[in-house]
Amino acid sequence: MAAGGAQPMIFKTLGWLTDPGHWRSTPFDTGILGQLGAHVGFSVIALVIALVIALPAGLAIGHTGRATWVVSVANAVRALPTIGALVLLVVIISPHFYGRTNAGFLIPTEIVLVVLAIPPILSNTYAGVQNVSPAVRDAAFGMGMTDRQVLGRVELPNALPLIFSGFRSAMLQVIATATIASYVTLGGLGRFIYDGLAQKDYPQMIGGGVLVAALALVADLLVAVVQRYVVSRGVSGRFHRNTSVDSRVAALVEENV
Amino acid sequence: MRTNKLIVAAATAALALGGLTACGSSSDSGSSTNGTVAGGFIFGGPPEFKTRTDGIPGLKKNYGVEFGKYKVTDTGGPVTVGALKRGQIDAADLFTTDPSIEANGFVILKDPKSNFAAQNIVPIINKTKATDGVKQVLNGIQAKLTTEGLGELLDKIQNKKQDPDAVAKEWLSSNSLGTTGTSAKGVTLTVGSANFPENVVLADIYADALTAQGATVTKKLNIGSREKYYPALAGGSLDLFPEYTGTILQYIDKNASATSPDDVYTALTKALPANLVALDKAEAQDSDAVVVTKQTAQKYGLSSIADLAKKTK
Amino acid sequence: MLTLLDSASSSPWYFFGYFLDHRATDLGWLWDHTWLSVVPVVVGLLLALPLGWLARRYSWAYPPMMSITGLLYTIPSIALFVLIPPLLGLDPLTPLQVPIALSIYSTSLLVRVVADGLGAVPTETVQAATALGYRPLARFFRVELPIAVPVITAGLRVAVVANVSIVAVAGTIGLDNLGRLFDQGYTLSVTEPYYPPIVLGIVMCVLLALVLDAIVLLVDRALTPWRRAVRSR
Repeated sequence: MAAGGAQPMIFKTLGWLTDPGHWRSTPFDTGILGQLGAHVGFSVIALVIALVIALPAGLAIGHTGRATWVVSVANAVRALPTIGALVLLVVIISPHFYGRTNAGFLIPTEIVLVVLAIPPILSNTYAGVQNVSPAVRDAAFGMGMTDRQVLGRVELPNALPLIFSGFRSAMLQVIATATIASYVTLGGLGRFIYDGLAQKDYPQMIGGGVLVAALALVADLLVAVVQRYVVSRGVSGRFHRNTSVDSRVAALVEENV
Repeated sequence: MRTNKLIVAAATAALALGGLTACGSSSDSGSSTNGTVAGGFIFGGPPEFKTRTDGIPGLKKNYGVEFGKYKVTDTGGPVTVGALKRGQIDAADLFTTDPSIEANGFVILKDPKSNFAAQNIVPIINKTKATDGVKQVLNGIQAKLTTEGLGELLDKIQNKKQDPDAVAKEWLSSNSLGTTGTSAKGVTLTVGSANFPENVVLADIYADALTAQGATVTKKLNIGSREKYYPALAGGSLDLFPEYTGTILQYIDKNASATSPDDVYTALTKALPANLVALDKAEAQDSDAVVVTKQTAQKYGLSSIADLAKKTK
Repeated sequence: MLTLLDSASSSPWYFFGYFLDHRATDLGWLWDHTWLSVVPVVVGLLLALPLGWLARRYSWAYPPMMSITGLLYTIPSIALFVLIPPLLGLDPLTPLQVPIALSIYSTSLLVRVVADGLGAVPTETVQAATALGYRPLARFFRVELPIAVPVITAGLRVAVVANVSIVAVAGTIGLDNLGRLFDQGYTLSVTEPYYPPIVLGIVMCVLLALVLDAIVLLVDRALTPWRRAVRSR
């Protein structure tokens, strides 16, 4: 019974996805390309802000070994229910904006996404710096490097694999969660999911889900390529057996072993 | 006060970044796309209003009204009201009983061509549960439900933050309908409701009255959308649901054309599947309406939906 | 701040009073939320143990399994909730759609954790166990799995905390759990913000996540006594 129902649905979804009319935007309606752009926009803004906050903080905490409670607090923040935080912020912020602006909904969404993205980046950066072997660090100081040089030339490059895995984890979460922007009137690929649900247009809804998953996959591949070029081969261990830095759990593995 | 300023400051900073991407989703089309009043308007409503027969397609067919842009807000809830009040949208789909229409001085545009069908409140019930006693209890409630009364119930819930169930019990006793008895004894049923306050309080009223008359009632309130609860009702995992004649008819029969209360009701009794029955319709109605702010109505001289199709000078 | 306190019952700090007023409903939702968050993690772990073992045992299975689970994890939860009933032919109101969806997420997350945890067991340890005469199955349960416990529980903590947040999303489509409080607060915020249900929902979700996290941590401690022994030396 499941197969009978699922089979035509796959074709209908493919039909929805391949209809050029669904990709173009009209003044009345935003198409797939437009919503894809909005989705990427929401995600990029959130990730850039999160990086600007979490990367320096993680490096500083890992390097000095001070204020490690910040990492614990950031990890505890993961317990915050995303949808609840969004509703609360919308209720507080949106009444302050008048006229043709999305700001009353955009700002809460971005805050929620940034809060979501900070913990994995922060804790992985911290763990990455902290995990640099003391022998390596001592050797760097012994060579006469300053504090700043040790951080920039030794600790940061060594921590990069973990930083990247933290960033990729944050990115996947942000891309999947940016769909809730549509719960508060904004665009993005979530629009197709919520609209498809309300309009009983399941191909549209599944199509939206497929697009989000595809976007996440492509983004992860792109960052993996960047990672390959940025991370020193001596660190990534590509000379040896695969160490397979994983997007979501490498940090856990590193912290606990 | 200070927190407000902080929010605005943070907002401005975020906007500088946000402006960049807003294009994908934003709204500022401003200029008219087809030379009519509506062409320069952003319309806000639930996602399904965009495709529903009496939604955007109906407005176009009946009045030749074509809006410049559609913005998905919510189903007559806080988002739609807030967006209309604060100028993010120019016209909206709201429900006629909504107390915030009067509170904000919104104007309901007249619907002379009956684009929106009659929406009398009607209990839809599973045939096996519709014993004479149950029918008698529910039809007794239906006889007392008026549109004004509905507005008062909503005001208590939305503005005075009273509990829907408490409001329901109070309404029953003030209409001397909450008496205990045995007319529904031996009946076990599940009452459902959609997720907006009016529907919840109606379900509470039905459920509480039946409980008082000896029925064993389970409440499954706040179910997301009709797409979720109607199959449950037809499939028998829900037994009783407060519905609106026009919407439920439209849902079952996409090509339904009846608009007057009696016609819609008759069509509905014919369209329902064999295992469901519609009890008496109430005088109380809660229908969709195209709503604008007072300023907008004055600026463009709007009193009927048809005025939206006027050419701008 | 003052303006908020003027009308005591819509102040954010009234959330506790709101809880007392609606105790029965709120506790019911807390219970729903708890089992919806916990059961999928247990199911996920039971499925992930054999799958993770397979991925480690047969190295060709590792890359495809990781890609598939990674991909599943990116499907937005709201889409998965709605899709499950029609795909599996279930009643559209079944509360099962949430645990099924979350089990898929938990399994996807935990397969990788289990595989990587088992991979982190030092080769020397495995060799020593083999030399001591452990058969593969006994070796897995008595040596490799216990050593992987810290990694696996770390994954369980992430999964359980993530679940508490995702379950709340299901509240916005009418399924009973603490997420309903957000929907309620939002619906009642028409003329002015109505904070109590929203704040109460956040507080209860955070507390639930912290308690579940602490429980996993305690189980982890109980299962790995040797770690404390090393530390106390």
